[in-house]
Amino acid sequence: MSEDDVPIEASTPVTGQSRMDAAWGSESDSVASVARPSTQTGQVFEQVYKPWDGTLNPRWMRNWAIFRHHLLGIFRKGHRPWGVPTKLFLIFVFIASMTDVALTLLFAILGEPGLYELWGVGRNNLYAHVLGFFPRNMLFYPLVAALLVGGVISEDRSNGTSALYFSRPINRFDYVGMKYLAVASIQALIILGTLMLYYFADILSMGRGWAWIIDTFPMFLTTMFCGVLLIVTYTSIGLALSSVSRGKFFPGIALLAIILGTKTLAAIVEGLFDKSILYLISPYDSIAHVGQALIGANMMYDHPWVWSLVSVLAFNAISLYVLSVRVSSMEVTRE
Amino acid sequence: MTYEWVIETKELTKSYGPHVALDSLSINVPKGATGLLGPNGAGKSTFFKTILGLIQATSGEGKVLGHDIRTEGLDIRSKIGYMPEYEALDNDMDAIHQVRYSGELLGMNPVVAMARAHTAMEYVGLGELRYRPISSFSTGMKQATKLACAIIHDPQLIIADEPSNGLDATARDSMLTTLYNMVHSGGRSVLMSSHLMEDVERVCDSMVLLHKGKLAAQGRIEDLKAIDREIEIHVWGSADELEQAMSQEGLEVRREGRIMRIKHDGEHTTHRILKCAAHTGAQIRRMHEYEASLEDLFIVIMERFGYGVKSSEDLLASPAEARRVDAPEHMGGSGS
Repeated sequence: MSEDDVPIEASTPVTGQSRMDAAWGSESDSVASVARPSTQTGQVFEQVYKPWDGTLNPRWMRNWAIFRHHLLGIFRKGHRPWGVPTKLFLIFVFIASMTDVALTLLFAILGEPGLYELWGVGRNNLYAHVLGFFPRNMLFYPLVAALLVGGVISEDRSNGTSALYFSRPINRFDYVGMKYLAVASIQALIILGTLMLYYFADILSMGRGWAWIIDTFPMFLTTMFCGVLLIVTYTSIGLALSSVSRGKFFPGIALLAIILGTKTLAAIVEGLFDKSILYLISPYDSIAHVGQALIGANMMYDHPWVWSLVSVLAFNAISLYVLSVRVSSMEVTRE
Repeated sequence: MTYEWVIETKELTKSYGPHVALDSLSINVPKGATGLLGPNGAGKSTFFKTILGLIQATSGEGKVLGHDIRTEGLDIRSKIGYMPEYEALDNDMDAIHQVRYSGELLGMNPVVAMARAHTAMEYVGLGELRYRPISSFSTGMKQATKLACAIIHDPQLIIADEPSNGLDATARDSMLTTLYNMVHSGGRSVLMSSHLMEDVERVCDSMVLLHKGKLAAQGRIEDLKAIDREIEIHVWGSADELEQAMSQEGLEVRREGRIMRIKHDGEHTTHRILKCAAHTGAQIRRMHEYEASLEDLFIVIMERFGYGVKSSEDLLASPAEARRVDAPEHMGGSGS
């Protein structure tokens, strides 16, 4: 018997070792061991609470924060993380939307009046810059709207970031209003920004005088108004779709389907029956019709333009109703 | 502004059609740390939404930090820091910018918000990781980031919904320590909901217990635990005689084999037990105060509530009956 082996007797104190011996035997090579940390851990991180006695700014500053977060996300890191494809497409559309600016400058510099007439500022060219179907309203602007509105509200629902907003002193009107403005502003930078560049490029390159400016400025402002109508309508429909969804794919695809699908359907009906009335179900065509009437460009539809105006208002009213109902019932948690 | 309670509600009721989510809740939450306990569907989340002014109460009134929950929701949300239970972070953002943005949403200007974001991230232990995208964070780090978002403006009251939910032991320990330090070193108040009694016990001094939208109990944890205070003895020999003697002495005894628990009945209880033991010749090998864990208390109160207690006063007034519910049947309990 080794020195460590202790016989189990009545007087033996009840210890963990003797219990193990009783249960498993007391062979000298069977040693119970417990893993223990080999080194003493140190304390590096000291948690010290630092109070803050600053003042919180009022409502406008909170709203500005939401607007800024979405708008600056296009240009800088640290704000809303728009996807790289979205950013690249926005740059592409911005450049592509300036083809008329580039050609105006080119032909003005070359001094070719015939070619300049094709691209210079005029009713039809102003209309085409904002409301022309191909390529702008077929390939560019609806896709820009789809990429922008897709996840603006739906991702707050799926990520639970709605809690970040609604647990702050932000009401739902401000929340949705600022997101709406931010998305609309990004589209305005492309559509209206390039329209302004186009107009001012013409003034600079051709050395236009006040008489020309006074003559064309109302036309330019009307085109700006039509551009705003286009942006507002696309944004309203897109955000309404985003508010009923939990992903960014459905709202984007649905927006494209509504804009291009209704246009295609109406075009087929017009081709078959020579009736343009079905264009009233197409948001794009309704805006284009109103734009043609206001700017004074060539009219392409048979029905009265006021009907199209009513259609545009109806699209916006329905979309804003859906948007307000959905946002007001949004949960303050991940849905 | 001075106020006695950080949260105070009177007969607060919230109904969704025929379903009553909060039923005449009269709750007083003192400064310091308070735990909000209750099983799923107890009304914890509805209570949070109501006191934050996010949903309108059907009837009753309430104040948070002295502000009316019906009319001053924006003021309340400016002064509290809310840490939601579920994910509330944009995974594609860097943590520091997410925290900064949460400060901006409160009205902080961007420069100040960024400075405070650094402080808050440092405080929750993510100082070295603040420029990492949230998508690369573990659950514990995400919880800590949510806490940083909640405390960026140094709120007087932090409302944390299940702060240790889904955390491993280390992260949980870190989260609870942080909350504890906020109260005891930072001087802030915390209202935390949890399913884990141990978490509440570790951080909080007081608790509020909800069950099916009703208030089951509220008060200091120490006081609530006293409703189930007993002395436990381990007896060797003459156990039957000792039990009988103690019963004759007027002590309430429940027994399982050689272990007996005697209801604490004043400061002479120990002396009376020893006197009975000396009289019967029973050996008391071990004697100690038996303190119910919060988990025990939770079960007792939940069971007791099911027996028809309508207020915490009733519950606290009849501890003996409350104790019987978890005793085996042969000891006079329900056998549950």
